[in-house]
Amino acid sequence: MSRRAVAWVALAAVVVVTLAIVAWPSGGKPSQAERVRSVSSELRCPDCESQSIAQSSTETARAARADIRTRVAAGQSDAEIRQAYIDKFGPSILLKPESGGLGILVWGLPAAALVLGAGGLVLALRRWRREPHLHPTDADRELVQRARPR
Amino acid sequence: MKHRARWIALAAGLVVTVFAVVLATQVGTDPRADANKSHLLGANAPSVDLPTLDGGRLRTSDLAGKVVIVNFWNSWCIPCQEEHQALADFYGRHAGDPGFAMVGIVRDDTDDAVRRYVASEGVPYPVALDPGARASLEYGTRGQPETYAISPDGVISGTRFGPSSVSNLEQLLAAAREQR
Amino acid sequence: MKATLGVLALALGASGALLGVGTLAVGLARHDDRLLRVGRRYVFVVLAAAVLAAGVMEWALITHDFSLQYVADNNALATPLLFTITGLWAALEGSILLWTLVLGGYLAFTAHKFRNRATDPLVAWALLVGLVVALFFFVLTLGPANPFKTLATAPADGRGPNPLLQNHPLMAFHPPMLYLGYVGFTVPFSFAIASLVTGRFGEGWLAETRRATLVAWGFLTIGIILGAWWSYEVLGWGGYWAWDPVENASLLPWLTATAFIHSVIVQERRGMLRVWNLSLVIATFCLTILGTFLTRSGILNSVHSFTQSAIGPTLLVFLGLVAATGIGLIAWRGDRLRTPGRIDSPMSRESAFLANNLLFAALAFVVLLGTVYPLIAEALQNKQLSVGEPYFNRMTTPLGIALLFLMAVAPALPWRQTSREVLRDRLLVSAWAGALAMVVAVALGARELAQVLAFGLGAFAVAGIARQYVIGVRGRRRATAEAWPVALVRMVRGNARLYGGLVVHVGVVIIAVAIASSSAYSTKREVRLASGQSATVRGYTLTYTGSHTQRSGQKNTVTADVRIRRGGDDLGTYAPAISTFPNASQGIGTPSVRTGLREDVYLTLISSPNEQGRVIIGVAINPMVLWLWVGGGVMAIGTAVALSPSLRRRARRVEEPAPVAPPTPVPEKVPV
Repeated sequence: MSRRAVAWVALAAVVVVTLAIVAWPSGGKPSQAERVRSVSSELRCPDCESQSIAQSSTETARAARADIRTRVAAGQSDAEIRQAYIDKFGPSILLKPESGGLGILVWGLPAAALVLGAGGLVLALRRWRREPHLHPTDADRELVQRARPR
Repeated sequence: MKHRARWIALAAGLVVTVFAVVLATQVGTDPRADANKSHLLGANAPSVDLPTLDGGRLRTSDLAGKVVIVNFWNSWCIPCQEEHQALADFYGRHAGDPGFAMVGIVRDDTDDAVRRYVASEGVPYPVALDPGARASLEYGTRGQPETYAISPDGVISGTRFGPSSVSNLEQLLAAAREQR
Repeated sequence: MKATLGVLALALGASGALLGVGTLAVGLARHDDRLLRVGRRYVFVVLAAAVLAAGVMEWALITHDFSLQYVADNNALATPLLFTITGLWAALEGSILLWTLVLGGYLAFTAHKFRNRATDPLVAWALLVGLVVALFFFVLTLGPANPFKTLATAPADGRGPNPLLQNHPLMAFHPPMLYLGYVGFTVPFSFAIASLVTGRFGEGWLAETRRATLVAWGFLTIGIILGAWWSYEVLGWGGYWAWDPVENASLLPWLTATAFIHSVIVQERRGMLRVWNLSLVIATFCLTILGTFLTRSGILNSVHSFTQSAIGPTLLVFLGLVAATGIGLIAWRGDRLRTPGRIDSPMSRESAFLANNLLFAALAFVVLLGTVYPLIAEALQNKQLSVGEPYFNRMTTPLGIALLFLMAVAPALPWRQTSREVLRDRLLVSAWAGALAMVVAVALGARELAQVLAFGLGAFAVAGIARQYVIGVRGRRRATAEAWPVALVRMVRGNARLYGGLVVHVGVVIIAVAIASSSAYSTKREVRLASGQSATVRGYTLTYTGSHTQRSGQKNTVTADVRIRRGGDDLGTYAPAISTFPNASQGIGTPSVRTGLREDVYLTLISSPNEQGRVIIGVAINPMVLWLWVGGGVMAIGTAVALSPSLRRRARRVEEPAPVAPPTPVPEKVPV
């Protein structure tokens, strides 16, 4: 392998290892505090416009955080906690639309649009491709190198 | 494809038209309409145990069997001040009825401010404080003033968000009484 | 008297616009050059009328003339002068007035710039379209959004502006900047419609209006950054972007405009993507109107939202007309304007720009969909839903990462085509820079995938940009033997758009890294302190030293003094506050921020001293927020550089007449 190729392979290795370290699941389930934070960041603070319970500092938001803490400690699942709040405040308490039903629109459409767009682009590029381009590859260069008189 | 731009443009036009129709139907509606309905209608009223302004305690268990009107309010909200007189008049009409109870729960305010308000304006019915905002949360309140009517068997039979007039309150009372 | 004068000015503007439209239309129909020349002058009438109307309003505000309802609603005797002046854009009616003023300015500038081509039907059509838009906005001010409505009895004192709007001098800049951006897109839009109507293309309308588009884009960028700054420093909820419908409304045209300023380069170079660019320009303008509709109609919940007014349906109808006209014209003419261009290879800068457009279009789609989804749910299922930060972050982050990757790779891609080998050579060093940045980030404790990728790709991109600059300067010095700084300046001026654009990319990278850091690694705590007590948060010791109350005019402010220390160094005393106004219902918090190079200490006063004299103070440690503003500044500088007149245009002129030798030609841009 040429030196450059080695450099690229080494680069790929470094990147893969680093990403693996980052993506490695960090031991076990999330802690209770983390669960409280993640659930409360997906629920809207009832007397705010669009802030989450995690962000807001109104009295109700603080009461809600305490309430969620109690529920998490009591063993309720994220879905159960969310449902309890929906029962009290209606579905508008969720900041992240549910994926079922109408939610397909808001979660699926962008992905579909992106895939369609990318697909269209690929098709267009293929159509535009003319005759194959000729570029010297490393193998070609080596060939020339060997053929040259020393 | 022949006339490709035309087809794409027409497709886009269709999407935009649908979108415009959706927008048009929503013009004139109030996005806060949801905040005017309580999702606890028909559910059992959450039980509360709160300190009152005069040092006692307010427990829902003490009010069992009565029709209860609960009003969430505080001293700084302007619509609350607007409905203050109506609430007082309404209470005056029914205070003598042993099957009737009315309580005001303070939401998102300091004790001092409430005391000062009550001292200067006067509130004839019991006022309960809500430290930690537990009751406000349990009742699914999103602001104030919010008024809930609870039937004698503990079911939330009517709610009203925003300032109420005496006739609004009478309607709530009547609905609660009918609920069996 | 002022009201009559103001209404007269508005009527003058409306009639000027109407007459201008009529004259130009007749002139175009009859191919009458004289009429076209006359019709053009009405643009200046419109500008004069807008200036007069705005001037009258400012006069009324400054003299506290409460017989005007707008002044009574948005001004009070105690309002400081700065906020009296900014009262012009404090509410709906005044904002529309500002819109007409800025529009008049842009139209006048366009008319002046194309004065030598006044009889060209393309220019005439563009002015006509611009005047139609101006007409619409003047009709708005004469009808549903009349700023000069009078009250039967003038109150002794006005209500004063919304307290949130008189908290900070930034109020003077954020809305005008946004409007300079929004309204500026009317110019390319007018030319796009003109081009479609006349069926003419090329002839440089694109290059001429490219500058106007870039100016508008630059102002919109600054306006959005200022809005984020205001949100952070003034509103006090602790963040800089809430995915609020009004914020999204300003972001949408920015996204399509950014796509346009990239794809227009492909059009200039290869003559392709004409219809797509026309669509982008029309879409950008439609999105500015849509944004105004969403914010002003009261149709969506927002911190910016105002009471509903009749302006909603009017704006919607106008938006429908504009969209229908644009789509109709493209359906009619679009196929005729298409060129049989082709892109030679997926590994070329053209392809990178296409990918860029795809990603920006996807971003715009996501933001639009998320913003209007509550309306769709309400219309279809009568359910009230909210779409907030979790959705937007989840959907936009991957697209943002992909764009960072493109930014890193694209500058190294040659035009037309390249081979893998060439690309590998060019990108190797920059890619290693990115990899090392990732390693360092992970070594310092970063564990969120999106953030680590942002750091790595950001470093990759900046290294690539540095490489472009170094190679360019080196190449130039080989040819001219100039000194480094001279070579740098001349090189940049030789291709201002490229090098200015690269500076803008550096700004974007800085912002991306700042966003990645502050969103993942912020700490938030609430501490309850009595006077003299301290709390420690992430190495900072905060001591509450006492509070004081201050009454000034309308405002009653309670301030808590907090001294911040870190590792023995005293970092100063900061004072978060809560202000109450007699006319407003709730206290308005003012945060106090200690801005640091690495992180901010963000203090808010959550509750004023209670009976025991204890306060609750909100403490947030936000990393890298300063760099958001720095990045914005870099973007602004890059835009200015990109706008500076390119030396290449003046290459024909001999700057220093050499007596013997022929003039030294300006070296061509070194092929990269």
